Amino acid sequence: MRAGRTLGRVLVTLARSVAIFVPVFLVATFVTFALRSMSGLSPARIQLGEEATPEAIARVEAQWGLDRPFLVQYGDWIGGVLHGQLGSSWTNGADISALIGLGLGVSLSVATFALVIGVVVGFALGTLAALRRTTWVDRAVTGFVTVISVMPAFVVGIVLVAVLAVQFRLFPSAGYVPAGQGLGPWLAHITLPALALSLDVVADVARQLRSGLVAAYRENYVTGAVVRGLGPRRIFFVHVLRNGLGPALATLGLKFPALVGASVVTEWIFGLQGFGRFANDSAQAGDVPAVQGVLVVSIALVVAFNLVVNLVLARVTPASQRGV
Amino acid sequence: MTTVSEKLLTRAEESGTRGPAGPPGPAVPLLSLRDVRIADGGDGREIVHGVSFDLTPGKVVGIVGESGSGKTLTCRAALGILPDHFAITGGSVEIEGTDISALTPARWTALRGATIGAVFQDPASYLNPSLRIGRQIAEVVRVKKGLGRRAARERVLALLRAVHLRDPELVHDQYPHELSGGMLQRVLIAAAVAADPRILVADEATTALDVTVQAEILDLLADLRDRAGLALVVVSHDLAVVARLCDEVLVMRRGEVVEQGPTRRVLDDPRHAYTRLLISEHEQYGLEKFLGPAASKGEA
Amino acid sequence: MVRRVLSLTSGRIAVAILTAVALLAVLGPLLAPQDPLATSDNTLAAASGGHWLGTDYLGRDVLSRLLDGSRVSVLGALQVALTALVVGAVPGILSVYLGRVFEWITLRLADTLVALPFLLFAVAVIALLGNGLTQAMLVTGVLVSPLFYRVSRAATLAVARSQYVEAALISGASIGWVVRRHVWAKVLPPIAVAFAQTIGTGFVIVSSLTFLGIGVQPPEPTWGGLLASDLGYLSHRPWAPLTPALLIMITVWAGNLLADAIRDVSGEAGRALLRGRGARTGRTDRTGPTEPAPAGGAR
Repeated sequence: MRAGRTLGRVLVTLARSVAIFVPVFLVATFVTFALRSMSGLSPARIQLGEEATPEAIARVEAQWGLDRPFLVQYGDWIGGVLHGQLGSSWTNGADISALIGLGLGVSLSVATFALVIGVVVGFALGTLAALRRTTWVDRAVTGFVTVISVMPAFVVGIVLVAVLAVQFRLFPSAGYVPAGQGLGPWLAHITLPALALSLDVVADVARQLRSGLVAAYRENYVTGAVVRGLGPRRIFFVHVLRNGLGPALATLGLKFPALVGASVVTEWIFGLQGFGRFANDSAQAGDVPAVQGVLVVSIALVVAFNLVVNLVLARVTPASQRGV
Repeated sequence: MTTVSEKLLTRAEESGTRGPAGPPGPAVPLLSLRDVRIADGGDGREIVHGVSFDLTPGKVVGIVGESGSGKTLTCRAALGILPDHFAITGGSVEIEGTDISALTPARWTALRGATIGAVFQDPASYLNPSLRIGRQIAEVVRVKKGLGRRAARERVLALLRAVHLRDPELVHDQYPHELSGGMLQRVLIAAAVAADPRILVADEATTALDVTVQAEILDLLADLRDRAGLALVVVSHDLAVVARLCDEVLVMRRGEVVEQGPTRRVLDDPRHAYTRLLISEHEQYGLEKFLGPAASKGEA
Repeated sequence: MVRRVLSLTSGRIAVAILTAVALLAVLGPLLAPQDPLATSDNTLAAASGGHWLGTDYLGRDVLSRLLDGSRVSVLGALQVALTALVVGAVPGILSVYLGRVFEWITLRLADTLVALPFLLFAVAVIALLGNGLTQAMLVTGVLVSPLFYRVSRAATLAVARSQYVEAALISGASIGWVVRRHVWAKVLPPIAVAFAQTIGTGFVIVSSLTFLGIGVQPPEPTWGGLLASDLGYLSHRPWAPLTPALLIMITVWAGNLLADAIRDVSGEAGRALLRGRGARTGRTDRTGPTEPAPAGGAR
């Protein structure tokens, strides 16, 4: 019976999250798709150059199906997207899904590692500050967090390259080695970009966790647990952490898009042929389907990540899910 | 020695087969306050100017007074949970003969729940909103009594039954926000007595509840005292609550105990103007109907 | 409110820094000791009397380029913040009054914009729609506007539901007075906080985009562009990224500091609103600390 109720809760949360994210996904993809008509770009210009005749342009556009009504094109495209087909590149006709797949491994390695660093360090700092609140430890952590929160990822990236890669030669300054070719080299190549991306996450998680925990410590149920004779360790893990975690988790959901976005810059700095680099290159080349593909994949990543965050939130703090 | 919850459970299960707990011997007071003074460390202002009373097993001491009179601070001092900046600046508090100023945090933890428990106003806020009821009570019995998972569950269900919750199995698996205020206060009482304390502090425990539920909770507290010899400290701004339950009453105003004595004496022959004021206010709303049980008990 | 912000040390520091940066933007090109575009044979020089911050790979004076480039960053950040303010706050306030359909649509749009990885999207949109920093900033402004949407909506909701407004109207206060006295006082501080924060965000975005070379034509100096050109010559001038990086960081910090100062003086009410209560989007906003789930069962 209890398992059934838990499952029911999970399903309700899932349904509610999906209800939020389906429109999000549709609107976002629609905007993405509308980019082409708004840009006025065409595969004909890329393939035929600036001096193409109107007839030639029309022929190429018809080949790509661009002469059809806008909504038909959108329907066609979104249908493909739902089947994992993102179309082919205007510049070289290659399958975009495959191209993105190539870069995604790099980007996800970096993003995941950045998230891990962000969560672990942010968690440690936030907890430390909350447990030692109003002492010098708290002030030191808060100061440190303030400093790193104003450091943009690309600035951190440059500093890391300058100091750790160029000056001390501790890490390779650019490039990527897949995990299949050895865990050590893989880690060495993704550590600096992940570190650059993670500071923002560290700062936000630490800040939100600190305030969440401090607020939770002020709650009456902590007094209640104290009066029932429970020890400080148990009170922290069972009562405070559970209820103070919400804001930090929610922040993580919000941070993820920024993390994906910042990969454009970090991959440029660290010479990684990832997803962000692909986005930038395609955008500069005017390869609209490729850009659309990247955006769709990034939106899907964000939506999926937020679904997971919502599920975890619902599991950790069931009460907060009421009437939201 | 039989414990509170065992007696409680026996009684609840075999409804009404044994008499009240025998009169306690010439007891060492379970809780003893001697001229306790509490000050706000921030500005050094003294808030509570000397409170003294002794609590023996099965006895009920009431503290009554308007909000801000220092009654809650006094309770919190006895529980060692004064808010930040507040401190006991004079007098002493002894729990079972031990001066609490000598207690280490670890000994406090051992003492709370097992010797002294408490329930408060706004019961919902004193339960973790993210955990099921059963788990929160089970936590206490597992930690304080070392029970296993299965035994703990049995005991929690028995406790929920003992506080007269109608469907213990259901309540066990519910979250605090799914229960009414009266049910939550029962849950809170169940959690407070789960580790068999000898003293229970009830700080405005019935204040937010409506009148019928209030009466039921008071009956439950009386029940605990009668069956298990639990000693109670009942704090209320409401004279009727105190009158119904207490053997001894302290009337507090602005941190000062203005009147103290056996409940009947204080109610029948109030010596301080403030006590008279409290009583006259109540007469308008019918103190008599609350006085019934206390009066009959006094004669018994 | 301005006076109260200035009465705080942090508020004074923040305003001083932001004013200095703004002055730099206005006067920067005039202050530049040399032509920021003039190349010379003296490439990658260390700091010296002639070139206080040295020269870059084309022998251009770094200080002059830094001063000249400040205008682009400041203007960009302002454009981002103003766009976000208009695009976010207006529907945010209106969503409370214009009925459920408008409310639902704007809420979904806000959810969508938040879900977009905005740097990626900005890069894509700008590259496709034309290479101009103004477009870039408009797009970015739209993408960060949910912050304004949420805080203004939450503040307006709180005011609309509050009984003192009703009480004031019943007791004969004019609507204008009520708006000035209550609505304005409650809605403005959270928006001001969001604005100060967005200035900081704007700086990061402008620098990131110019760093990638998006939105500016190559010879034109920008803070981000300076960093990008330093990247290739780190082994020659490892300390070179320091000045532009510090400038960016201090400016962002000043924006955050100002936001905190406004939050502090706007009191508990403003702070509670900034926790994103009542936004009803199922998620917390991007601003300051959020409170955990309410403990009471009554809510």
